[in-house]
Amino acid sequence: MAESSTLICEENQHENVPVYEFMDVNSKEFHIGAFRDLWLDVLNPEVYSYSVTAPEIEDVEFMEEMGIEPKTLEELKSICSVDSLRSGHDGTDNVPSDLHLSTLKLRKRRQDYKETLTRYTVDRHEVYANEMEMTSVGKKPDDLRDLIPEGEIILTFNIMYPILFRRFKFVRAYQTLHVLGSQKLSDLRDAICCVSDLQVFGEFSNTPDMVPQFISKDHYKSAFFFFNGTFFNDTRFPECQDISKTTQEWTRTRDFPEFKTAKMEDTSFYDLKMKVGFPYLYTHQGDCEHVVILTDVRFVHQDDCLDIKLYPLITHKHRVVTRKCSVCHLYISRWITTSDALAPTDPCLFCDQCFRMFHYDDKGNKLGDFLAYAYVDPGTFN
Amino acid sequence: MDNFSGPVKTDCEELLGRFQATESIRYEQFVEIWRGMDFSSIFHGKPEPNERRRFARLILSVVAPYFFPPYTFQIRVGGLYLLYGLFNTQLATPREKIRIALKDWKDVMQFQKDALNAKHYDVVYVFRKLLSDKAFYFTAMPTPLNFRIKREDGRKRKICEEFVDPPSRPQELVTTDVLEEIANVHEHYEGVKKAVFTEPDPNLNIVQQNLVPKLNSAVFTYSSWQMNRATSEQQDAGEGPSNQESSSRAQLLASIKSKSYGQVIEASKSRRHRQAELVPAAGPDISPKVSSKKKRFPSLKTRTQLRFRTQGIEDEGSNLTRLWCLSAVKDGEMEPEKKKKKFNWNPDKSSDPT
Repeated sequence: MAESSTLICEENQHENVPVYEFMDVNSKEFHIGAFRDLWLDVLNPEVYSYSVTAPEIEDVEFMEEMGIEPKTLEELKSICSVDSLRSGHDGTDNVPSDLHLSTLKLRKRRQDYKETLTRYTVDRHEVYANEMEMTSVGKKPDDLRDLIPEGEIILTFNIMYPILFRRFKFVRAYQTLHVLGSQKLSDLRDAICCVSDLQVFGEFSNTPDMVPQFISKDHYKSAFFFFNGTFFNDTRFPECQDISKTTQEWTRTRDFPEFKTAKMEDTSFYDLKMKVGFPYLYTHQGDCEHVVILTDVRFVHQDDCLDIKLYPLITHKHRVVTRKCSVCHLYISRWITTSDALAPTDPCLFCDQCFRMFHYDDKGNKLGDFLAYAYVDPGTFN
Repeated sequence: MDNFSGPVKTDCEELLGRFQATESIRYEQFVEIWRGMDFSSIFHGKPEPNERRRFARLILSVVAPYFFPPYTFQIRVGGLYLLYGLFNTQLATPREKIRIALKDWKDVMQFQKDALNAKHYDVVYVFRKLLSDKAFYFTAMPTPLNFRIKREDGRKRKICEEFVDPPSRPQELVTTDVLEEIANVHEHYEGVKKAVFTEPDPNLNIVQQNLVPKLNSAVFTYSSWQMNRATSEQQDAGEGPSNQESSSRAQLLASIKSKSYGQVIEASKSRRHRQAELVPAAGPDISPKVSSKKKRFPSLKTRTQLRFRTQGIEDEGSNLTRLWCLSAVKDGEMEPEKKKKKFNWNPDKSSDPT
């Protein structure tokens, strides 16, 4: 009996070691908590801890392990030192003159090409990206209780923006979120920024001042994640409905395996079985669907951001150029009008001031015939 | 950044090839080659934003597979030294780490044990130094996966044959343990047969009598043939083509096959107009895909533009009213459209200036 239990144990181990299902595309399913335990079993805790052992202690350990004299160790250190690897160049900004590495040849060609381009302005979006990185890279928390424990798993999710227009079908716009294994699915849900959450409904041409303050995010709170045959629903608020019910009823009439449901706020990532690199689904607002891919699962490292309050952490955002008002080209548009006899295009964007000046007279009467809606630009998240 | 992976792989294989030629696994030899190639300059150059970090990530992910099986021990040592060198000379801060997946950790531990047993202290030291520098990320898969189905097949996964041990499946199958067991079973079988039938019946001799020695000699012949072939190929490289027994037979077979598939039966005179054509097999189709993109049939828009341009009606093309630009454009301020020359990542060999 003991044999069969060790066999089962080994089988479990093999099951949860991630391997490729399709080479370089995605992995097979594995349980994240079990994966973490497997790594913890084989690793010496020093290896993933944040602290650095003192060099003297390291030397002693090393000599014991290898059974060598201090003299041999000194010799080894001098032979294998990092200084022997460095070249004599002082500047690293220039490609060396004798190019025998093919990488350098390619890089030189690319550099020469870049210099022929006349326009070289610093991209504003790069500045935003750098700022975002600065806030989080290597950040240690002030309060030690907020420090991420050693041996924690970080999962990296790519959340794709939904493709609504054919023109944007070829751009894979996504945001990257780092999330801790011990956090719940609802934390991930809260961190996803989607512009459809901010939409305001209603037609306001007759009452431009009465734009309501509520946004769709507050109105329609239901959402679900779909991972490996289970729908994880958000049930935190009383307004949340199970929007996966319709899909499940539909699948029951067809030839699909049975799908399960679970609660988003009760499941942490350690309880999940996932495939790395495989597309999953996140739906909110009833029909705003996002493809979610888990790209990476790894241990936390001392160079990562170690402040637990900052997680889920956004590391990459696809930035969209904001659309300005058609009249002044200065301000970001806040209104969109359709069937407007006064506007040149249908639909047409206006900023607040131009909209009022253009469509209403001094007394606030509506001029002409049009329909106006509140517009939230997708670039608000930049 | 993917465009750099080809040249990076070439450079790394060059370095590992030179290391393999030294037939040693001492770090000093490696450093000599490293300095000779001035390999740390692979990171130099005016960086585009984030380029240093992305390049460091790329080169570490290209080199990491050389540290794992199926490569030979020497190549794995070379891979380890190369990772050590690249990790310490990279220009990104904080430094990019080396990824190790759970499935490869066992091989890594085994490798370290072998090195320790064989008293290769520099190998063990380098690995321990990387561990203590916290140079590794312990991950689920070797690279982050993004469900890229459309990647060009066959480009990334080519294993350099010279870095791998020659296949030894017969030796793996017929080991000494297996031979011992077969011998025991054979004896037992013969014993039982004799006990049941006092008179040996020739009809019952189903199994070969000298099975075990035959197996042994077959495997031995195979391995010695392999070694001879390896040494003869090395000699061949210097002397030019020479007729060795085994390779000539293979060449003969290959030539017969190519003749039969390559020949197209000539049609009779009456049907010459319907000559059969030799169409290349599906294999090479993958590479023309890249060039076929450029030969794609031009769109309606392009064709219209070409047609109108050649007919001399140029006004209609460039003065499109931009609907979101409602203010009038002053005449003379419109700059002539510059033809942007796109950067060609893969120049043809004939036009390569270097």
